[in-house]
Amino acid sequence: MKKVALIFLLFSVTFAVVECKKKNQLEDEKDEETSFDKSGMLNNYSSNVIIPNIQVAKNSIDSFAVAYNAFLSNKTTQTLDLARQKFIKAYKDYQKMELFGFGPAENELVSANFNTFPTDTPQILSNITNGTYNLAAFINIDAKGLPAVDYLLNSTGYSDVQLVNLFATSPNRVAYVNNCIADMQSKANNIINGWNGYQSTFINSTGSEVGSSLGVLVNNLDFQIDLMKNAKVGIPLGKKSLGAKLPEKCEAYYTNSISVNLTKACLDNIENVYLGRSLTGNDGLGLDDYLSALGAQHTTGSLNDAIKNQFTIAKSKLALVNEPLSNSVINDEATVDAAYVEMVKLLVLLKTDMPSALGIVITYQDGDGD
Amino acid sequence: MAFGILMLASVIRFMSKGWVYDMYIRPKLFFPYYGFEWIKPLEGNAMYMVFILLALFALFMALGFFYRVSAIMFFILFTYVELIDKTNYLNHYYFISITSFLLIFLPAHRYFSLDTYHHKHLQATHVPNYFILTIKIQVFIVYFFAGLAKINSDWLLHAQPLKIWLPAHSEMPLIGSLLTKEWVAYAFSWFGCIYDLAIPFLLFIPRFVKPAYVLVILFHLATSLFFNIGMFPYIMITLTTIFFTENFHIRIIEILRSVFKIRQPDETLSTYIPSYKTLKVLTVLFIIHFAIQVLVPFRYLLYDGNLYWTEQGYRFSWRVMLMEKAGTAFFFVREKSTGKEIEISNRDYLTPMQEKMMATQPDMMINYAHFLKKEFKHKGIQEPEIVVESYVTLNGKGSRLIVDKTTDLSLEQDNFKPKKWILPFDKK
Repeated sequence: MKKVALIFLLFSVTFAVVECKKKNQLEDEKDEETSFDKSGMLNNYSSNVIIPNIQVAKNSIDSFAVAYNAFLSNKTTQTLDLARQKFIKAYKDYQKMELFGFGPAENELVSANFNTFPTDTPQILSNITNGTYNLAAFINIDAKGLPAVDYLLNSTGYSDVQLVNLFATSPNRVAYVNNCIADMQSKANNIINGWNGYQSTFINSTGSEVGSSLGVLVNNLDFQIDLMKNAKVGIPLGKKSLGAKLPEKCEAYYTNSISVNLTKACLDNIENVYLGRSLTGNDGLGLDDYLSALGAQHTTGSLNDAIKNQFTIAKSKLALVNEPLSNSVINDEATVDAAYVEMVKLLVLLKTDMPSALGIVITYQDGDGD
Repeated sequence: MAFGILMLASVIRFMSKGWVYDMYIRPKLFFPYYGFEWIKPLEGNAMYMVFILLALFALFMALGFFYRVSAIMFFILFTYVELIDKTNYLNHYYFISITSFLLIFLPAHRYFSLDTYHHKHLQATHVPNYFILTIKIQVFIVYFFAGLAKINSDWLLHAQPLKIWLPAHSEMPLIGSLLTKEWVAYAFSWFGCIYDLAIPFLLFIPRFVKPAYVLVILFHLATSLFFNIGMFPYIMITLTTIFFTENFHIRIIEILRSVFKIRQPDETLSTYIPSYKTLKVLTVLFIIHFAIQVLVPFRYLLYDGNLYWTEQGYRFSWRVMLMEKAGTAFFFVREKSTGKEIEISNRDYLTPMQEKMMATQPDMMINYAHFLKKEFKHKGIQEPEIVVESYVTLNGKGSRLIVDKTTDLSLEQDNFKPKKWILPFDKK
């Protein structure tokens, strides 16, 4: 009996002390209970954020395809310009789906297939000359997608009239753009269709382990902010090249007037995902609510406030950067750098503080908590 | 006193199976331990050979087949694998290394083993309590120090990091909603601490062994349920059976005999008694071993600052489950003459696990800085300086810089001296 008594003693001492401590804690922490509707959050994400955003991106690519075909049936500088307008819309709306590279999008390697930039112009031209190529081949990963179309619709050194003429005289060029578009359309289609079946899997995987929906979403969000900070801003700004500016590495370099806007669209989408906000502005259950429910703290105040505040700052600094980005990195370095610095701070919050507070595991290996 | 030790060896065999399956990925660089920089992984597929050998020797140990040689080889190979890269440091790997080291000196093959089947003169039904005591002391040290380490304000007063880790499992059936309650995190924290401190004593008292063992099972199963800690719970559950009486182990051996149809050999009661000289050497060895075991966890006292933040003196001290630490490290290669910088993409050089560990552990940053310096010298940068901006969050207190960005880490050496360039945790 003695042993049982001892164990009971241990338990009761534990609980007595715990109760004491709890009372002390109650005063400074409002959220004592952190019950949170995780599957409700995942439901909001899939129904109101992810699927509609991918749908918008897909629709815009489809409308661009229509406009490009209109240009082909009547090759004038006006129809070329209309096609370019639709292309810009498609590139902007693509920013809404770039983040969602998981689930059915994982096989389609979204950001690699749609948006590897800078594009390899010699490779594109050689493909066009040869007339035979396989866009699915690894060698063509930087000769396809939006950046390739960006180049072919806006080739440097050609006036609009000359460009129209190029399309009129080179069926291979016409076909190359068509093939790039068809590749993106089929991939976007697969993703949308894939979500029909994947959605319930996504909503029901409510854990926080590797491969859980929450883990996957947060990992992709972090991947996207990394991509934005590095590829879209940092590399042109010379962050990886001893300060040497690389304007030709800007996103949509050949359209050349939308790079900052694309980055803004990307940042907006990251914020929408963080908040669980739909395209219509409905702020549903999202990571922000989850962090609040957990009572996650930052150095001063709540982590959610720190993150939301940092989104505001980063957006306001990015708003000061003028188009084209290829010009600003050279002539207005300080402004671009200020935006970059705020993106880095945002990245730290989203990549370090947030996963840590959510208890998200990012590797498969065993750990012992140290 | 009978043999339970054979059972321990079989656990080690069991565990080794897991590691053979475990892919040994070959990253571009490895993070060596200070003093063991000369330890390098084998080229290509040869590492698989090491794991196969490990499994083989573990099996031999379990069967008691060339026991002593197998134990030595197992210890050497296992420790070798662990020393290659401190990214993979885990307290339970360290524990396995130590246990296999102790097993080298124990007469664990004197009963119910292939060695005794082939060499009848080795056979003994009893060994001195002395040998079994060493394993018991080692288990005692592990639990007790793990318990001591839990006596800190984050663990007891703030229920951290359990307050972060438990709610992450709120989707679990039945208990899920409980896990989000704050008092549960406190209960787990306090229970865990008292458990670790009390269990080694309870195990030593024969009367309490059984209830203590029930607690051992419950505790370790709970931890394996909630945390990603691999084999450790099962190792401890099995190892603690050493505290049981001989009857328990004899019964297990009898069950094994009937399952595998091994007939009971003719036994005469005999006790293995080591020579006086052997005993003297072993005693000195064990005393040194346990002195080191007791002192090493306290070495952190020699360093300033928050132990969990700086991790100076953190490893090899049975500090388990104590912190939720995460970081993002931006490394910069700076050209000394111009002051111009290249921001490094860690992904280009490190595995995700290495990146994760390095971002929060200053001594690993030094290793990485040395690597980067060499790499960029090759790429033609004269006198590269390596600096880091690493933001780290500890137990949900908000990320902050861990290292002074003005320090050229490529000039620092990884050693036991205090790392002055680690910024204090509580800088107001």
